[in-house]
Amino acid sequence: MSDLDKAIAQLRACRPIPENQVRELCYKARELLIEEGNVVTVDAPVTICGDIHGQFHDLMELFRVGGDVPDTNYLFMGDFVDRGFYSLESFLLLLCLKVRYPDRITLIRGNHESRQITMVYGFYDECLRKYGSANVWRYCCEVFDHLALGALVIGATTDLAPSDAPFSDPASQSTLPSEELEIEILNSAGQILNRFTRATPNSSQDLSQLSQNPSSPSQAPSRTGAPGTGAASSTNNSTNTGAVLCVHGGLSPLIDKIDKIRLLDRKQEVPHDGAMCDLLWSDPDDIDGWGLSPRGAGFLFGADIVKCFNHRNDLSLICRAHQLVMEGFKEMFDSTIVTVWSAPNYCYRCGNVAAILELGEDGSNAGYAARSNGDANRSRGGPLAEQRRELHMGPGRRYRVFDAAPQDSRGMPAKKPVADYFL
Amino acid sequence: MESIPNLNTFRSGRGGPRRRRAGLGGSSDGHGLDPHQLVDHAEPARDRIVRETDNDAGSSRMSAVALGYLHDEYAGIFFPGQDPIKRYPIINRGTYVRTTAVDELVVRFITTRPAERKQIISLGAGSDTRFFRLYDRLKSTQPGGIVYHELDLEANVDRKRTALRSSMALSQKVHDAESDGWRYHLNALDLRDLTKKSPSPIPGMETQCPTLLLSECCLCYLSPEDAGSVIQYFTMHVAAPLALVLYEPIRPFDAFGKTMVSNLASRAIHLQTLKRYSSLDAQRQRLRIAGFTGGQNARDVRQLWETDAWVAQSERERVEGLEWLDEVEEWNLLASHYCVAWGWKGDVFGEAWQGLEGFRTASEDRDAENG
Repeated sequence: MSDLDKAIAQLRACRPIPENQVRELCYKARELLIEEGNVVTVDAPVTICGDIHGQFHDLMELFRVGGDVPDTNYLFMGDFVDRGFYSLESFLLLLCLKVRYPDRITLIRGNHESRQITMVYGFYDECLRKYGSANVWRYCCEVFDHLALGALVIGATTDLAPSDAPFSDPASQSTLPSEELEIEILNSAGQILNRFTRATPNSSQDLSQLSQNPSSPSQAPSRTGAPGTGAASSTNNSTNTGAVLCVHGGLSPLIDKIDKIRLLDRKQEVPHDGAMCDLLWSDPDDIDGWGLSPRGAGFLFGADIVKCFNHRNDLSLICRAHQLVMEGFKEMFDSTIVTVWSAPNYCYRCGNVAAILELGEDGSNAGYAARSNGDANRSRGGPLAEQRRELHMGPGRRYRVFDAAPQDSRGMPAKKPVADYFL
Repeated sequence: MESIPNLNTFRSGRGGPRRRRAGLGGSSDGHGLDPHQLVDHAEPARDRIVRETDNDAGSSRMSAVALGYLHDEYAGIFFPGQDPIKRYPIINRGTYVRTTAVDELVVRFITTRPAERKQIISLGAGSDTRFFRLYDRLKSTQPGGIVYHELDLEANVDRKRTALRSSMALSQKVHDAESDGWRYHLNALDLRDLTKKSPSPIPGMETQCPTLLLSECCLCYLSPEDAGSVIQYFTMHVAAPLALVLYEPIRPFDAFGKTMVSNLASRAIHLQTLKRYSSLDAQRQRLRIAGFTGGQNARDVRQLWETDAWVAQSERERVEGLEWLDEVEEWNLLASHYCVAWGWKGDVFGEAWQGLEGFRTASEDRDAENG
C-alpha cells in the first residue's frame, strides 16, 4: 500500500494525517492543479456535487450514494471547508483522491476556499486546533489559489437511460414515464422517486416548479400538472447537447464568453471584486439583468443573462452551487441553470436534504479531453452555428437526493453537533 | 475496493430516514411518559436547563457587543471572568435585531406621555441589561417615574445580585436611578407560582400604572396552560393599560423548525408553547384571546431586519459592514423562525406604537394556503 493509499485510508476514517504529509500532499496537488486550465474540460459521464462545508460524514454518505472514486467520475464545485467540524479531513481526503486519481475527480474553487473567509467561518480555527499551528492552513490556502475556477462538461447525453431500479412508491411505477426521460430523481437507497419526460417549450415552465415543494428523500418533489404531460419533443434528431458550464457561484458582468475566464490570472487569493470574485460569489435571481448581491460580493443575475450567456457560449446548462436549497437541487429559468447543494442538514441546523447530479455520456464523444487551458474558441460563429445552437436540448439529468448521515457510527470521531439558536 | 456501508442502517432503533423523520416531532412531546411522574424528580434539572439558556443569550449578547453590532457597556458585567465567545455572523445579526426591536417597543412606551408613571415587568430577565441601558439613555426625561421589575428563578437572580453588589459602579447606578425616579426590582420568583390559586404578591409591583410585560424566550418554556395563566395573572392584577411583548421561536413544522426542535431536545430544552403558537397569526390570536384587545401584531425577525421602521437603512448598512455575511439563505431561514409579537389594551400603547406595523401580510396568506 503506497503512502498515498495509507493517507486515504486514514482520512476515510476521519483521522487527520501528520503535518509533514499534508505539506507533501499540498505540494503534489499544486503541481497537478497548476497544469489545469482556469476552465477544466471534463468528459461525461460525471457526477456533479455542490457545497460540502466540512460535513465529513455526509461526504462519506455522498460517496456511498454516488459511488466511490475512482469508479465514479466526480466534479466538486467548491466550498469544501468551513462551517462543519471536519473541514480539514474532508478537504484533505478530496485532495488525496485528486492526487491519486487525477482524471477521476475535478475540484473547482468556491468562495470559501479563501484566506479571508476561512478566518471567519471556521477552517482556520480548526487547523489551529488540530495541529497547534497555522502551517496546515497555509499549505491548504496555497492549494486553494491553484484550484480551477470552472469546468466544462462535454459529451453529456440528452437521453437519460431509465434506471433499472425499484420505485420508492411501487404505485408510481405505472404512472411515471419510462422513456424519453429528461429528469430522474432517486433517493439515497437508489429507488426512483420521480421522472419527467422532456417538456415541450409550452410546458417547460413546469420544470421550474420541480423543486419548489419541501421534500425529504422519502417524498418526491412534486411537479404541478400530471407527470408525462410534456409531449416527446423533437425526438431523437441527433442533436448533441451543448456543453455544461460548472462554476461555484455564477456569472459576471465582465464575462460574456467562457474564453474570457481562461484569460484570468487565477493563482491568487479571491479578490473582493472583479470577474474572478463574481464567478465564485454571484447568484441567479428572479430579476431582469444584473442586481446587487446581499452577500456584499458578486452580483445577482436574471434569466435573460443566463439565456444569453448559454446561447453565446454554446451551453445547454449552467450548473452551480453556493446557495442552500432545501430540496438539494433547484432548476431555474426554464432549466437553463441549476443549483446543486450537497451538504445535508447544513450546519447541523437547516433540515435540508442534499443532492448530486449525474450526467450520462452520449457515446459519440471521442473520449479524451486534455485537462489544459487549451480548447479556446470552441464555440464557432456564423449563421449556421446560430441555427444549430437553437437546437440544443439540456442534458438528461439524474439527481440523487440524500439525507444527513448519523455522526456516531463506525468508530469515526464524532462530536455532538451543537447548533446555535436564540434562547 | 470495499463497498461503502449505508451509515443510516447504524441508526439506533428503527432504520431508514422515513421512520426517523416521522419520529422527530414526537420525541419532544414526551410521548409515553406520564408528565405527573416526571414532576418531582426531573423538575429541578429541567429548571436548571431552562435557567441556563440565559448563558446562551448572554454570550450571544457579548459577541454582538464585542463586534460592534450593539452598544452595551453592561454586556459582560453579569458574566465576570468570561471572555466573549465569537458567534457566527448570522447569530450576531439575529441578536442585534432581537435587541433592537424589543428596545424600540420599550423606548417608545417609556417616552410616550413622559409625565405618566410607567411599569415594565421583564419575565425571565436573566442577565438582561436593558434597565441600565434605558436609564443611561432616558434618565432625566421621565418625571412620572419608571418602575422596572425583573423576575427570574432564584439562581439567576442570585448571580445578578452578586454582580450588582460587587460592582461599585452598578450599585451607584441603581442608587442614582432611584433618585431620578427609576425604581429597580430584582425578584426571585418561579413564574409557575403565579398560576397557583392565591399567589403571593410580587413585591413592589404597581397595579394602577400602565404596564409593559416583556417575555424574551421565557413563556415559551412553560406549558401553554401555565404560560396562559401567567399572562392572566397580570391581566387580572393590573387595573391599567397593559401590553405584552413576546420574542419567541415560530414555525416548528417545516424542515428547519423540526431540526430546531430536535436539536434543542438533545440539549433537553423543550419549547412547550412552540407548536401551539406556531405562526405569526397564532401569536396574534393568542394576544387577542389573552385580552390585549387594543391591537395584536407580529413580525418575524427577517421582516424586522428588512423594515426601515425597525432598522433604518443607514443602520442596516452599518451592520452589514461589520462582518462578511455569506450565509444569506441560512440567515433567511433562521430569521424567519423567530418573531416579535406585541399586543395591548389601553390608549397609551396605541399611541406609543403607532406606525409599527405588524398585521397579517400577503405572504402569510400564501403560507397558510400552502401549509
